[in-house]
Parts: sequence; structure tokens; C-alpha cells
Amino acid sequence: MNRSVIRTLLARDLGMIRRSRALMLPMLFLPTLLLVILPAAIGLAARERSLDVDRFIEMLPGGLADPVLAHPPDERLIILVLGYMVAPLFLIVPLMVSSVLAADTFAGEKERKTLETLLHLPVSDRDLYVAKLLSTFIPSTAISWLGFTVFCIVSNIVCWPVMGRIFLPTGTWMIVILWLAPAVAALGLGVMVRVSIRVENTQEAQQLGGAVVLPFVVIAVGQTTGLLLAGPVVTMAVGSVVWLIAALLNIRGMQLYRRSSMAARL
Amino acid sequence: MTDAVLRCQGLTRHFPSGTALDGLTIDARPGEVVALLGPNGAGKTTTMRLLNGVLEPDAGTASVLGLDPWRQGDELRARTGVLTENAGLDERLTARENLAFVARLRGIPEARATPRIMELLDRFGMAHRADVRVQGFSTGQRKRVALARALLHEPELLFLDEPTSGLDPVATRDVVDLIGSLAQEQGRTVILCTHFLGEAGRLADRMAVLFSGHLHAFGTPTQLAGELWTGTEVRVELGRPPGADLLSRLGSIPGVVQAVPLEDGVLARVTTRESVPALVAACVAAGEQVFAAEPRQPSLEDVYFEIEARAKRGAAA
Ligand SMILES: Nc1ncnc2c1ncn2[C@@H]1O[C@H](COP(=O)(O)OP(=O)(O)OP(=O)(O)O)[C@@H](O)[C@H]1O
Ligand SMILES: [Mg+2]
Repeated sequence: MNRSVIRTLLARDLGMIRRSRALMLPMLFLPTLLLVILPAAIGLAARERSLDVDRFIEMLPGGLADPVLAHPPDERLIILVLGYMVAPLFLIVPLMVSSVLAADTFAGEKERKTLETLLHLPVSDRDLYVAKLLSTFIPSTAISWLGFTVFCIVSNIVCWPVMGRIFLPTGTWMIVILWLAPAVAALGLGVMVRVSIRVENTQEAQQLGGAVVLPFVVIAVGQTTGLLLAGPVVTMAVGSVVWLIAALLNIRGMQLYRRSSMAARL
Repeated sequence: MTDAVLRCQGLTRHFPSGTALDGLTIDARPGEVVALLGPNGAGKTTTMRLLNGVLEPDAGTASVLGLDPWRQGDELRARTGVLTENAGLDERLTARENLAFVARLRGIPEARATPRIMELLDRFGMAHRADVRVQGFSTGQRKRVALARALLHEPELLFLDEPTSGLDPVATRDVVDLIGSLAQEQGRTVILCTHFLGEAGRLADRMAVLFSGHLHAFGTPTQLAGELWTGTEVRVELGRPPGADLLSRLGSIPGVVQAVPLEDGVLARVTTRESVPALVAACVAAGEQVFAAEPRQPSLEDVYFEIEARAKRGAAA
């Protein structure tokens, strides 16, 4: 591996992401909305003591209702929404961001007609592939970590009058963010690499990729809250499985990302 | 010849859509410009990709700069420069950034790359647009920047894929002059893909004529003409069409292979120059006025179209 080559490719890709409004706006808008505005709104709502959420909580499955009901009534809305229900967002964000960026770097290179230039340079297939993985993985993980930090700060500040303590992050939350979220980013990436090799342009990659990634989004929505309830050990285990699948997908992607087969698809 | 910079044998590549290249055997000597000449779909770009180790062949061997393009590809590509069909510049970057990016990927130290980039942009008349995004560049400007980029690392071998397509006549002349000077002054070997006869004629020492993946001829224009026809053509200008018996008399002169009528004279094919006086004498003896008699070298167009005609006849047979 040639580090300077990887660094050069990475610097260009990251620089281009930063310059591109089409990428930056949705990438910043969605997390801001989900991770900042939502907790602020919930926190403010919870300060209105008149709000009665218990009836709603009682309708929830016992698994979720019991731990929430264990808290004093004032805290229940906050614990329910910010402590458990928003959790899927922290997996959807890295999944979506990595899909969008992977489509841009893999299929976009072809669409911009710059791939052939790269293939004619003394840059090995592997270096090219690794650079592209990193240029997707680093920003997706960075955004989800940054988003989570902001989310915790906003939640704790806005909810302070009700909670009177720092209630986020919990240990399981930390595992979700540090272990599972990067795994999910790598998973989205692995899927998109396979898709992008086959298609002509970014749009096609996003459409086809969206169809493939969507089931993962559904799983994330359905199961993440459950993970927080199931505790740290299960979360670690699930994270490991996702990492394994992501690793297999990416290794296979690297095998497919061969110069001659790329050139045959130009 | 042991001094070939490039040689390939039986190079073949299939695609699901068909055979792009079928058994190509050519070579190039140091400092030589070899043109790959052929219409759309002839296999020129495929040849270039194969020889630079970007695409793998289904059959055949090659040695380029003494390296195996498919096993030592990165080593080879460090010493070759390529101008692809569409310039392949990053539209989002400026001309200078495009060059700097490739210089970094090629491992040229910044201290050497920075002046070199300016020098090349200046030489190709693009210095004034160095810091403008490529997005707004014309086709000609893109080609110049891409050509500068191909030369950053002083490559020993250049692959140029249709360097003048899409250029206006002035830009074409400039680019052709540039390429000519690259080969002549700087002794680089150039593989030039083109479907413009004029460009090949001006620049190429030898040319490989390709039609739908098959090599139909390879050599200097004179060699190719020699392979196509025996002898030289002589145009005898009489000011009027010749009579039938003059034609048959000319045809029976020793050394005259063929005599065909023209609007204003005769086009004769002779094996040697020595037959020309006899040809003129016969016309004068027949009471004709001879205004001119000029041996004529076949033009590149003649050669190309004859090869094409024979290729078609061959394909039809
Ligand atoms: N990647 C590919 N996939 C499928 N078919 C291909 C591919 N590359 C080339 N071909 C086919 O191989 C043949 C030769 O193509 P090539 O691009 O080498 O021709 P060319 O001489 O460069 O033509 P042009 O003057 O149009 O650039 C064409 O019929 C083309 O359709
Ligand atoms: Mg071509």
C-alpha cells in the first residue's frame, strides 16, 4: 500500500465532498433535524407538566413500557423518546450518509469520466479501493459521532429542568454509537460498492442502492430500541455480526474492483 | 530488431458485444510516432488500454518499455503518459489542481511539480486559465490541459487517443505541431490513435491500419503503397480523352502495367521510371499534344481507401 497515494485520493474526495452543496446540504440537514431539533422539541414539551404520556406508555409493549415506567412521571416522556425511541436515527444516519457518499465516489468517478484517467496512472487497484472506502467511511462515522455529541449536549441542556442530571449517554448508547454505528456505515458502503460497480452513474447507484439499503433501514428502525433494552452484551454481539457481514462485503468488493474489469465497463 | 520500445504479438480482446481486437502484431522504435489509423470501432482505444496494462487481453503477448503490461502495470504506467479520448479532467477542479493531483499521485515532489505545472500550462497556452475551473473550458482547452498532464513526469512513451477530435482547424494545427515537437525534439515514442488521415500523414513515421479489430497494413506510407501497388502512377496530360487505339498501344509498351483514360489524358501505371519516355513518345507519335507527364506518389488517402476497399472485398469474399 502506498500511503501517499491513498492520502492524495482521500484529500481530493473529502475536499470535493466539502465543496459539494448537493452532498453537504442533505448530509447536514437530516442529522440536524433529527438529532438537534427533535430532542429540543421533546425536552421543551416535557417541561409542560400538563402533558400526560402515561396512557401512551401503557399501550407500548411491556418490554419498553416497564423500564420507562420505572422512572418518575415527569421524566417518562424524555426517557421514552430521547432515551429509547430516537436510537434508530443513530444507525440510519451513518447508513444513509455512507450510501450517498459511496455512490458518489464509486459511481461518480465513472460518471465524471475521471475513472479512466486514474486507471492509466501508476496507482494500484487496492490503493484506489482503500482510498474510496476511507473517503466514505470517515465522513459517515464522523457525522454520526458528531451528531450524537450534539444530541447529548442539547438533550441534557434542554431537559435539565426536568431531569436535574446528565442522563445521556448510557453505557449501551455508547456501544451503539462507537461500535454499531461504524459497522452500519461499513455495511452501507459494502452494499453500495457492489451496486456502483454495475451502474453507469450516481443516480442509478442511489436508486438501486436505496432499494438494497432500505431493508436495513427497516431493520434498524425496528430493532435498535430493542437493543438498548437488551443491554450491552447483546448490542456488542449484534455489532460484531454487522461488522462481519460488512467486512465480507467489502473484501468481496475489493476482489471485484480490479483494473481490467473496471476498464471493461468504461 | 531488439531496440523496440513496444512490441505486441497476437493481441486479442473480446467483449460480450464482440471482438474488439483480433491478433494485433505491431512494434514501435524509440522516438518513433506510430499511428493507429482506423474508423470508429476499429479497436484503437482498446489497443491503447491493453498496451498500457489497463485492460487484460484474452490472448497475445506484449512488451512495453521492456515490461509486461499486465504483470508490471504500475511500473509501466509510471513511465507512460496518456491522453484519453475525452480528456478525463475533473471538472470540479481548476487546471492547476488537476495537474497537481496527478503529480501527487505520480509521486513527483511538490517542489519539482509546482514549476513544472506552470511551465507546461504556459507552453500549451493555458497559463492564463490555470486557476479557472475546468467546467467552463472548451474542448480544445481541455485537450491542452490533459496533454500537459500526460507530460508532467517526462514519460518515455505517450499514448494519445484522438488528440485533435472536436478541435477547430487552428487548434488542430496547434496540437499537431505540439505533438510533432514532442516526438522530434524530445525523442519520445508516441502511439497516436486517430481517424484523421492528415494528422497521421503529418506526424506518423509508420501506421497501423485497423478495421473492426483487424490489422490490415503496417508500415511507412511508402511501404504500404508498395505493398498495394506495383510501380508508380504517371499522369499524362493530353488536354482531351485518349482514343481507344492509343490506350491499347500504351498498354503494350514494355514496363507499362496498365493505362486508364482520364478526362484530359491518361493515367498509366509503370514498373520503373524508365518507361516514362517511351510513354510520352508513343503519345506524340499518335499525334497527341503532351502538356505534362508527372509520376505521382500515391497520397495517404489513396493508400487508406485502397486498404479499406480491399478489407471490404476481403470481408465480402
Ligand atoms: N468496454 C467495452 N465493452 C464492450 N464493448 C467494447 C468495450 N470497449 C470497446 N468495445 C467494442 O470494441 C470495439 C472497438 O472499440 P474501440 O473503442 O477500441 O474502438 P476505437 O477504434 O477506439 O473507436 P473510436 O474511433 O470510436 O474511438 C467496438 O465495437 C466497441 O463497441
Ligand atoms: Mg476510441
